[in-house]
Amino acid sequence: MMMEKLWFVIPEVVLLAGVVIVAILGLVSSTWLRSRVPWVTMIFVIGAGVSFPLVFTDEAVSKSTMLLPGLGRPMGMIACVIAVCLLLLTVGRIDRKYEQAIAEGRDRFDPLRSNKGEYYVFFMLSLAGLMLTCSANDLIWLFLALELTSLPTYVMVAMSRGSRRAQESAMKYFFLGAMSAAMFLYGFALLYGATGTVELSAMRDALADQAADGGISMLAVVGMMLALLGIGFKLAAAPMHLYAADVYEGAAVHVTAVLGFIPKAGGAVAFMLLLSTMGWLDGAALPMPILILLWVMAVLTMTLGNIAALLQRSVKRMLAYSSISHSGYLLIGIIAGPGLGFSAVLLYLFVYGLANTGAFAVLASLQREGREIESIDDLAGLRQKHPGSAIALAITSGSLLGFPPLLGFWGKLALFIAGIASGHIVLVLIAAINSAISAWYYLRLVGLPLMSEPSERSETIDRDSSPWPRFTAIGLAASMVVLPIFLAGIQDETELPLTSDEADAVALTDDADQDSSGF
Amino acid sequence: MTGTTIAIRIAESIPAVPAVPMADVVEATSHWWAGFILWCPLISLVLCGLCAAFRVKSKLPAWITVLSLACSFTFTVILGNLEDVPERINLFEWIAVFWSDGSFVANFALYIDSLTILWMSFVTGLGTLIALYASEYMEPDLGKGYARFFAGVSVFLFAMGCLVMGDNLLMLYLGWEGVGFASYWLIGYYYRRPEAVAAAKKAFIVNRIGDLGLALAIYLIWATFGTIQYNELMTLLDEGTYATVYEHWSVEAIPYLLMLAAFGKSAQLPLYIWLPDAMEGPTPVSALIHAATMVTAGIYLIARMYPFFLLEPTSLHVVAWVGGLTALLAATIGMAQYDIKRIFAYSTVSQLGFMFLGLGVLTTYGASYHVFTHAFFKAVLFLTAGAVMHGFAGQLDLRKLSGLRRMKGWRIVAWTMFVGCICLAGFPFTSGYFSKDAILAEAFVTQGPGFEILGWIAIFTAFLTAYYTFRVWCRVCAGPVHFEPGDELHDDDHHDDGHDEGHGFHPHAPRFAINFVLVVIAAGALLASVPYFMTNEVSDIKGGWIADMVNDSTAASGIPGHAEHPGTIAHDHSGDHGHHHGSILGMDPHVAMYYISGVVGGVGLFLAFWLHLWRRQDADRLRSWLLARAWIRWLPVAMENKWYVDEVYHALVRAPLWLLGHIFHGFDRYIIDGLLVDGTARLPRLVAKWFQPLQNGMLQSYAITMAGGAALIALLMILMMQFFEGGGVQ
Repeated sequence: MMMEKLWFVIPEVVLLAGVVIVAILGLVSSTWLRSRVPWVTMIFVIGAGVSFPLVFTDEAVSKSTMLLPGLGRPMGMIACVIAVCLLLLTVGRIDRKYEQAIAEGRDRFDPLRSNKGEYYVFFMLSLAGLMLTCSANDLIWLFLALELTSLPTYVMVAMSRGSRRAQESAMKYFFLGAMSAAMFLYGFALLYGATGTVELSAMRDALADQAADGGISMLAVVGMMLALLGIGFKLAAAPMHLYAADVYEGAAVHVTAVLGFIPKAGGAVAFMLLLSTMGWLDGAALPMPILILLWVMAVLTMTLGNIAALLQRSVKRMLAYSSISHSGYLLIGIIAGPGLGFSAVLLYLFVYGLANTGAFAVLASLQREGREIESIDDLAGLRQKHPGSAIALAITSGSLLGFPPLLGFWGKLALFIAGIASGHIVLVLIAAINSAISAWYYLRLVGLPLMSEPSERSETIDRDSSPWPRFTAIGLAASMVVLPIFLAGIQDETELPLTSDEADAVALTDDADQDSSGF
Repeated sequence: MTGTTIAIRIAESIPAVPAVPMADVVEATSHWWAGFILWCPLISLVLCGLCAAFRVKSKLPAWITVLSLACSFTFTVILGNLEDVPERINLFEWIAVFWSDGSFVANFALYIDSLTILWMSFVTGLGTLIALYASEYMEPDLGKGYARFFAGVSVFLFAMGCLVMGDNLLMLYLGWEGVGFASYWLIGYYYRRPEAVAAAKKAFIVNRIGDLGLALAIYLIWATFGTIQYNELMTLLDEGTYATVYEHWSVEAIPYLLMLAAFGKSAQLPLYIWLPDAMEGPTPVSALIHAATMVTAGIYLIARMYPFFLLEPTSLHVVAWVGGLTALLAATIGMAQYDIKRIFAYSTVSQLGFMFLGLGVLTTYGASYHVFTHAFFKAVLFLTAGAVMHGFAGQLDLRKLSGLRRMKGWRIVAWTMFVGCICLAGFPFTSGYFSKDAILAEAFVTQGPGFEILGWIAIFTAFLTAYYTFRVWCRVCAGPVHFEPGDELHDDDHHDDGHDEGHGFHPHAPRFAINFVLVVIAAGALLASVPYFMTNEVSDIKGGWIADMVNDSTAASGIPGHAEHPGTIAHDHSGDHGHHHGSILGMDPHVAMYYISGVVGGVGLFLAFWLHLWRRQDADRLRSWLLARAWIRWLPVAMENKWYVDEVYHALVRAPLWLLGHIFHGFDRYIIDGLLVDGTARLPRLVAKWFQPLQNGMLQSYAITMAGGAALIALLMILMMQFFEGGGVQ
């Protein structure tokens, strides 16, 4: 048992080794060494990513007692791929003014004032938290892992920009995050009370017994509800989404890109783990109250996200709201359950992570007098001076919209297929309508840069002094076009192997759904 | 209302994946290198792109393209020699979407049978030669559009490869759209010329209509049969157990939709109008894409999906009639044009019509053979026209050029054009003679509505073809030396002081690359009659190598004499022996056609020599005589104005669409944008106004809202639990 746990945390150990080294490197007075910090971080992230297939071999996974043992490998690899993109985006952006001052001899290096190492340390810690979430097998581990995912991001937001806005949004993010943590911790406590165990597999058995005895206890349902609502904060799912727009806007672009993926993925994984304890037991679907909760969350999340995005003039706020709506789509896959549903969630996280990072990379690649561009009007006619960024923005937006044949389309298709296959046609219809609404603002991100004439505002935009955000954006945009060719391979990787009793359960659920009208 | 409804599976009896794959299709994993037939042009595309990015000023892009296409050709030839049964070569998994009771699988795989090899051999072979020709032809653009041109050619070859070699309909569709895109790219190559841009758009938009048909057909095929892979489809059609499906409307609709696609891409009535305009592109493009290869994609499509057409025989009658009428119409227009390239363009439309006629009268062999020979002789005709255009500063008016064969350096052009002309005219014992006869004879053999009339129309068209073909040659290549340059003078022509005919213009004769390619392709055009005399295994008809090639493919049931050929089957029932039953002038049509078409070709040729070489004034006299007679006046006028088809389309299609567009624009602007969007934008804004207090940036109110939201949802859950009576909860 202990050995198993240690074996499965090898990737995290790799990352933690990286944390130590990067923390030291960031404080070295040599400019050359400090400028290598992002690349060293990347080596460790890649190392962690490579270790996943070695650690989570089919044999090791089949022997594991974890609730969803197949989750670790695809999620870990997806996280590492996206993390590399997120890191590429930051090259030359962290501590830029301070490093410039040192390079020009205006300032001396003072380890106390340098944030460079810290940023990457926190980044890796957050990533490690996400990976630990995947291998959680009890509530306490799950709680700690989720908090490890979130806590570093609070600091990252605070230090991402010198301005007070960043600090203001960090404060909001921290306090609201604490509130949500309290909420889901309370939920965990109730779940423990209802089942008498903190271990997820044991909890599943206990709940299965309860279900067989005439129904899951009210205490467990309420506990689960609180847990889901609290973790909904990580996903930015309604009604816990309110912080997102402010925080995303306040943080620097490269941090916003991180916020758009890592906590969200952690939340989605926690959802899948928790729901697997209660749902899909012995052929039953989710308990009705939980299903209703998820439905309401999904519908509210996508609708509120999309409608609010329609009204934004600020590109970052627009993307923030759009990422809220994507959480709503993700919930469809979670509702659909193990098998098609969870596989679709993993695929969508990958697809969405790439496209979202790409869109933020475009924003990071542009600047006006050292400040980030804000308004959507800044993007008008971008193609004339920055054709690469304009095309990258158009392609990534198209992918976020789910425009065939771009990668995003396949992600959404998988989610919708899973939703329909599990009988939630109405939900999929609502999602489809939302997709249509989202076209309105995504197409603006396609049309304005490519087709409009440049305005006076957009004339003054320059490219960022670091080429890496631009390369990242163009590379990610290219991947939106190229990766669909290798879709079958990606799907093989994101496919969650079902344990045998789960497979039975899914088969039974399908049968059970045949005659329900697809609520 | 569950997952089962995703697939509109019309016949429940059809399994999503057939248990037994087509018996004689093998998985040829050891032939993985065949993928390089596709990858070579793709690599060349990337390298040409790099050349463009680094502003290479040399001929490097041309050599890259020629080399990579030559590699493709070599691989094709090797594959053709190794291949003896249809085989699948899986390159990689592409799309595989599964759900509880269905799937959509499209692998990036190659389906290689002899039809594929036949098509790919002339596509890659001519592609290589024409790229070589273009290396010289495109010289004036060195350093400007040179790399862009060759990148376009590479895209085209890659897409054409996908179209022809793909193992499923989605790859065919990818290639279909890909060649359309390449065609748009290359027609609009001179993008500073408004005519070129307009022509590119026209080609793209008209093709869109056909592509819609293809997309719908693929969808219907998938919905009906649950697969889009050729071998699985053919297995399903082979097995008689799916008889219930045959009754279904979609089986009747599929051939018509495929036909629409074929008519768009292969420029048939009513969608042929884009092809003549496509001549705005550089001439090598006209030769490669708009004469030899891309436009035959429609014939390939129908030949490949022939079993679907046999399920619905009426569809083949439509194909035959459309083909025959297009052949006649285009030939009459071609007779009255003065622009050499346009004449050849209409001639291409007309010849494509012959091929469709062949498909319609149940001879896939004749159609394929004509595709094969036509690829060579039409390519050589376009390339000679290109050489003339290149040398005479864009001059293409046949009234302003004469006596080319007597000019120094132009003899090769004149005589290769002659070779192309006799093949196109169907002069006895040339390749065009044999391939055209295979179609014409079958029009008299096969029973069908008015097929005999169609046969006589085709013979008349063959006569017109011989006439307009030699009209060009007699005007341009024969006769006294005389020329006027066009208006595309290159810089190096300007500072040549005039001492020759007062023009100040030297036609620059083609150099090695152009002459070499012309000779090779002209030789190919002549030698294309050789396959006809090769012994073939299909015993019943004379067809040689091509008949064998078609016989080993999915188009086999369209070969006269094949066991599954409808004519043959019909005869087995009636007890006749052999499959010949029609006759012309009391003879077997196949024999009679040798004489008829020889005579008809000869008469047309004689007429052309008379009117356009020996007594050119007679041609003008004939024209003014016709124009002076009120009762016949309309004929030459209508022919010269292309039967006013463009004008009719403008009035019937473009103008209404334009009007509709403006109405929609107004509607969009004032109703949608003005009323609804601004209105609805006000609505969310109003909603946002309600929520604005919630989104006010205040931490406390966020916390309260979140907690309140959670509480509201909890309340809702409790209410709903009452409603659903517990829902599995104690």
